[in-house]
Order: sequence, then C-alpha cells, then structure tokens
Amino acid sequence: MKLGRRHFLAGVAGAAIMGSAGRLQAQTSVSLSVPWMGWPEEQVRPLMASFEASTPGVKIAEERLPIAELFRTLEVRLSARSATPDVYLVDGPLTASYAARGHLLDLGNLVGGERDRYVASTLVQGTFKDKLFALPLGTSSQLLFYNKKLFAEAGLPEPSADPEKRMTWEGLLDIAKKLTKPETSQFGFAFENSNPYQLLPLPQSRGVKVIGDDGLTATGYVDGDGMVDVMTWYKDLFHTHKVSPIGTFQTGVTQEMFGSGKLAMVLGGTWNLGGFAKFKDLDFGVVAHPFFKGGKPVTPTGSWHVGINPRTAHMEQAQAFVKWMSTRDAMNLWFDLRQYPPSIKQIWDERASTTFVDPVWKIVQYELANTATPRPITPGYREYEEFLRTAMQDIQTGGDVKALLTKAATSIDREMRKYR
Amino acid sequence: MLSSRLTPFLFLAPALIGLVVFRLAPIGIAVAGSMTGTSLMGDLSFVGLENFAYLFTDAEFWSSLQVTLLFNLIINPLQLAVAFALALLVFQQGRAIWFYRLLLVLPMAVSTGLSAVLFGLFLDGNLGPFNGFLEWIGIGAQAFHRNQDQALGTLIGIATWKGAGYWMLFLLAGLYSIPSSVQEAALIDGATPWQRFRLVTLPLMRKPMAFVLVADTAINFLFFAPVYILTSGGPSGSTSVLMYQAYLSAFTFSDLGRSLAISTILLMIILIIVALELRLLRSPEDHAA
Repeated sequence: MKLGRRHFLAGVAGAAIMGSAGRLQAQTSVSLSVPWMGWPEEQVRPLMASFEASTPGVKIAEERLPIAELFRTLEVRLSARSATPDVYLVDGPLTASYAARGHLLDLGNLVGGERDRYVASTLVQGTFKDKLFALPLGTSSQLLFYNKKLFAEAGLPEPSADPEKRMTWEGLLDIAKKLTKPETSQFGFAFENSNPYQLLPLPQSRGVKVIGDDGLTATGYVDGDGMVDVMTWYKDLFHTHKVSPIGTFQTGVTQEMFGSGKLAMVLGGTWNLGGFAKFKDLDFGVVAHPFFKGGKPVTPTGSWHVGINPRTAHMEQAQAFVKWMSTRDAMNLWFDLRQYPPSIKQIWDERASTTFVDPVWKIVQYELANTATPRPITPGYREYEEFLRTAMQDIQTGGDVKALLTKAATSIDREMRKYR
Repeated sequence: MLSSRLTPFLFLAPALIGLVVFRLAPIGIAVAGSMTGTSLMGDLSFVGLENFAYLFTDAEFWSSLQVTLLFNLIINPLQLAVAFALALLVFQQGRAIWFYRLLLVLPMAVSTGLSAVLFGLFLDGNLGPFNGFLEWIGIGAQAFHRNQDQALGTLIGIATWKGAGYWMLFLLAGLYSIPSSVQEAALIDGATPWQRFRLVTLPLMRKPMAFVLVADTAINFLFFAPVYILTSGGPSGSTSVLMYQAYLSAFTFSDLGRSLAISTILLMIILIIVALELRLLRSPEDHAA
C-alpha cells in the first residue's frame, strides 16, 4: 500500500491527540522523583507501593542507585537547582552539607511537634543549626562478630555478650594473634571496611576530638597527636602484628572472608546479620564493640534520612510522602524490609518481646542508649570523609601515618574555606 | 532561490552544526566555566583566572600533574609498541590465524569499567586467584593496586590489556596497505628480514603509527574509570591523575569552576603533546614540502 500524504498527516494528527490525552491523564496523578539507595527491589518497592495505596493520585518513581552513584547523582541534580528530585534519601552526616546550600526543606512544621516519638540520638544527624531538615529512617550500630569454630580450634573461651564486660582493644589484639595463621591465610581480626564511620570510634574511645568545635577545622585534630597515636595502632594491626588483612576497604571482602572462615573476628554493622546468613557452615557469635583500656566505649551510629527538595513542583505531595514515612506503619514495614535499628520508640516497644528478644538486639539497644556517638556535624562532611577515608586506606596499605594525616588535615581545611 | 554560493554550506551544515554542538561548544563552555566560581547558594560569578592561580599554588595539583605525565610517558609508547608487535605477529599467513586475531581483539568487547572490576577481583590480595598462583611459583604475593610503587604500573597493565588489541587493528590495516610489490622488490634486492622491516615496513607505517599514537595519547590523558573504581587515586596519591582531580572537584567538593580549570589545562597539555607527536612522526616527504 502506498502511504499518501493525507494518510500520513492524519496519522500524525491522531498520534498528537492521543499523546495529549495521555498527558491529561498524567496530570491527575503526580509522580514524585525519588533517588534512593540501590537496595534490592523487594526491599524498596513494597514501601513505595504501601504509600501509593494510602495516597491515591501520587506515584513514587524511585531510582535505585549504588551508594557512590547516589551521592554523585544528588550532587549533580541539586547543584543544578532544578525542581527534581522531589524527595531524596539523605545520608545522616550529609544533612548539614545539603542544608547549608539550601537543598533541604525545614521539616519543623511537618514533624516538629513529634520529636518525642523518636529515639533522640537519631534526630541529631538530621538537624542543622537547631532545625530538623531530614527525617531519620532508622539508625545503625556496630557489633563484633566472631567465628565459634575458629575460637574452639585455638582453644579460646568465647567472649562475654554482656556490654558491661566488653573486650578492650588490647585484649582483642592478644586473642587476634592467637587466631592468626599465616600458613593457611587465616587472619584474626578486621574492621568490615575502612570508612571514617567505622574507624572514628577508635580516637573517640580515647577521648580524642576528631574535628574542631566550629566543625570546619581539621588541622590540630585530624593530624593531632592523639589521632596519630591511634592510627599508628591501626597500622600496626596490619604491618607489625599482621593480624588484619591488607586491602579490606569494602564490606563485601570482609564478609566473604569471615563467611569462608579466613577471618576469625570482624567488627561490622547489623546488616551483616543478614549478610552472613548465606554461609551455611558458619557458626558465629556476637558481642559488643571493644574500647581502649582507660578510655570509654564509643560506637558509631547514624543512618539514612529522607528530605524534601525546597524547589519541588509538587510540594504538597512531597510533604505527604515524608509525613507518611514518619508514621508507625511505614516504619514498621521498613524494619521488616531492612533491619536497621528503628528511629521510632514505638517500634522498639511493640517488638520488645518478639524481634528484640534476640541478645544481638539487646546489645544494639544498650549501645544506642549509652555509647552511640554520631559523626561530626559539619557542612563539609563530604570533603572531610573523602580525605580521611583516603588517609585511612593509605595507612592500611602502609603509608606514613603522620604525613598522611597532615596532608588530609591540610586538604580538608582547604576545602572547608568555602563554608566559613 | 538560494544563491549558488550558499549551496555548499547548506550541504555542509549538518556536519558543521554537529562540529559546533558536539566539539566547539563544550570546549567553549569548559573554558568560560573555568573562569567562574559558584557560591554555596548557587550564585555564579566571574572570577577571572582565580581558579588557575589557586591550582598553580596547590601541591596536590602539581603532584597530580606529575602522575598524569608519568603515566602517559610510559603508557603511550608502550601501547604503541605492544600493538605494533601484535600486529606483526598476526600479519603472518597461516592456519587458524583468525583465531589468534580474535583472541587479541576480544578484550575490546569488555568495557573499561568492567575490566577494572574484573582485575580488581583477580588481583585482590585476600580473595583473588592471581596471588595464589604467584605464591605457588615462588614469586610471593604482590599488593598490585594496593601498593604505592605498583599501583600505577598495575593500571597501565590493565589499560594495555584492554587497549593493545584495539590499536593493533589499525596497525594491521596499515601493514596490509603496504604494497606487496615493495616488499618483493626488497626481497629481490637481497634485503635481510631486519632490513626489510627497518627500511621498508617501518617508514611506510609512519602514518598509521602517528594516528594510533595521537588517538591513544588523547584517550590516555583522559584515563579515569579504573582510577575511580580500583584505587581512588591512591595509595598515597600515586594514581591520582588530573581527570580524577577534576572529578573530585566537581562532584565531591562542589567546585565546578576548579574542575573546568583542570579540564582546560588538560586540553592545553593534550594539544601541545599531540602537536609534538605529529611533528616527530612526520615523514621525510612532508619535511621537503
């Protein structure tokens, strides 16, 4: 059949009409652009679907992105100061960074009157200059996991699960030496990764300040004597005592090593409880985070928050979504999907005689109430973390501790100038 | 009616527009952007040469420049030499020669990012299989990209694994374009294989070699993905190339002006080095002209 011009034009017109009809329909239902962490779809979609079911006419177009990609995507889109994303996932310590640059809506009117519903420490990282900018979706804590079989092989008694009788780092090192067997590439101990989140409790346990009071000064803190001492201790784990495997920068590596019996102890987050479940032969115990003799127990904390782009074109719907996220039902579902320690007290209470009977959760509860210490609150956390992480990794691979920390401090101060 | 003088431009327009949109405009934007600064609240301002002045007093920039130059000083001649050697090897006639060519070209099909991830797993000090092999043959485990002295070399190795087969294709095409009559004439004159290579093959390969060197240089100065994926510029800055610094400036330090200043400096360096390379590889006939 020959396609005549008239037919062609009719087709184009028809398509245009149908297209505009589709647009009309779309206008009755708002779709929110929501960058999210790249967790498995079955841990993300049910949460969004539950909101969509509760709020007709609003759809959530979540984008699941790997962590580094998420930060980069947010940086690019927020810097462009456009109307999207509407709502986005905020890493706790980045709240100040986004808020200082006008990328977060003050949530004071939305949930301001409900502060009492939250575990107090979880609100801290969503707060900048006394205003709540990002709603906590949960928090986090770190535990010491140990392989029961390897302990038995080495003739070592299992450590106490009582947080009051937690190990000292000095004691842990002695045990780690006994659990290290170079001939079979078995290591005694590792931090699950080498991020500041993981390692800052080391200096903090000795009472060392990790940033100046203004939140903008690194020189004298990041490269102070206390920090140099502690990071030298850290370096010795790898290079003098050789109880820790070099190159353990990422959780995936340590999880695999612990799961396959090449690592006797690992300090890691509650997410490892699920992560270790795939190793059928692994029999592990869990005890509290160690501390330095003479110092105080300190555990890392903080987690994901959710915030609103103040430039969103769908303010009403975006607020409805975040408000819904603060409800008991949403947070209860969220805990079922991903087991972050809840930020809402009600969830802790409701599950007290079920989920949280597990001794592991008893430890987590103790830490959150007594030892949890948030990361530094500074608009420059992204820069602070970047340089400190690099230095910590370079120290692990054998670099000069003092020189690396001095370089990191200088670089952090250089990048912090713009926030002064 | 359009005048006949405008007609050629009409036909050239699609190409010219493409050239402006995809080549000149981005360069213009980068150079102009390198002279701007952005405030915390997103206000753009003209700062002149401030970004450049800052970079020139920044120790990190100079060390990164040094790493970038060292990386290129090694990788470009190396890739050219390896690609040429491979091209000569598979230029032979023989049974199943296609199979060997296929093997050499295969890494091209793996994306740069993926090849970095694969090598990361392969060379990993704790879980990777390669160190087990090295221990077995008695060399002992190596840290590779986790060692300050080996990291840059490891990245060069990965890039060459992926790139050599690709550049080999161009050189192989060049070898085929040498008229067999020239080779035969040399053979009849009693030239040894070495003489035929040095006095016939090599001079006639100048043009394809120049192309490969220039294109390879431009690509390697923009080398980024394996640094981002494997080393994050470390250990201790030993792989922190300028492209990585540009990335950090834009996406971690929210300083687009500085990032564009680094890009502009890179562009200048590439222009200068490519000009030098073209001059070096000019054939004698061109000199006479």
